[in-house]
Amino acid sequence: MSLQVLIFSLLACVSILGALGVVIARNPVHSAIGLVLSFLNVAAIYLIARAEFLAVVQVIVYAGAVIVLVVFVTMLVHPDDLPEFHGRRPLRVATGLVLGVALLLEVAAAILTRSLYGAPGPWTDQTIAAVGGNTRALGQTLYSDYMLAIQLTALLLLAATIGAIVLARPEAVSERVAAARRTLTISLAHPRGLDQPELPPALPLPPDGQVKPAGGGRPIVLARSASEFTEQPAWGEWRTP
Amino acid sequence: MSELSATHFLLLSAALFIIGMVGVLTRRNVLVIFMCIELMLNAVNVSLIGFAWELHQLTGQVFALFVIAIAAAEAVVGLGIVMALTRRADTVDIDELRQLRE
Repeated sequence: MSLQVLIFSLLACVSILGALGVVIARNPVHSAIGLVLSFLNVAAIYLIARAEFLAVVQVIVYAGAVIVLVVFVTMLVHPDDLPEFHGRRPLRVATGLVLGVALLLEVAAAILTRSLYGAPGPWTDQTIAAVGGNTRALGQTLYSDYMLAIQLTALLLLAATIGAIVLARPEAVSERVAAARRTLTISLAHPRGLDQPELPPALPLPPDGQVKPAGGGRPIVLARSASEFTEQPAWGEWRTP
Repeated sequence: MSELSATHFLLLSAALFIIGMVGVLTRRNVLVIFMCIELMLNAVNVSLIGFAWELHQLTGQVFALFVIAIAAAEAVVGLGIVMALTRRADTVDIDELRQLRE
């Protein structure tokens, strides 16, 4: 076993451990740390495969930008909304594990019995060195054979930026009220009034089947005026008791 | 197997992809599912680069670069959707997001 295989195996093991950490960790921040570990080790494996430019891009884009985005969004999400790991879904976990192991065995068998090998291309270490390195060779290929594709990629990134701005922009008050009316019943000028310290005891209900619950089972918000409701916390922070 | 070959890259790629797939199938937190999707895209890059290295071609590296660009776009839009979800439905548990079914 050569030194190269040994180093590759070490990096691959750490990267697989990081990937397992992503799936197993309860806390999403721990998952993000596992993801960084996996990405950095994969970047080192790219270096073994002589893809220096892609190793750098991997570190900057994946381990840098994407992880920072993930951690920021984790911070914006309510921590008490994070569901328990695999909570109360043993059947789903068992199905996922069985499917995963079966697929892994199938794919490993397919890889180990591979008999079709492509014809080697022109880019050996010598020709890449003659052009001036991996980055330069990659750039020449990108901007000659893949000109249209790289321009379309630029367009895609622009569209993604606009989409993210539209999705993440704060909602206007009118939109917030409209969204609230879909799930809440807003009662203006409640007859019992809100100035009393306590609401009087509720009247006895008529027999079943004769009365429809106000708001159809939806939570009722009491407000004396429309502006009082719109001054409530932002809609995403509204907690129904 | 004593010399490094594309088989090593393919096995690592398969392992990472399937770990990501199991995560998507078993987890309920939409953020963790998103991270597992990133893991799967990364696994595809590993096999592309392994093939490019074995065949002395740059095509695999070019494809991997495009995959990274599209993964970045997907990350931006996906996290925007997570933000909109927490604002609208106030949850990141995919089992509670069933408005389309009801």
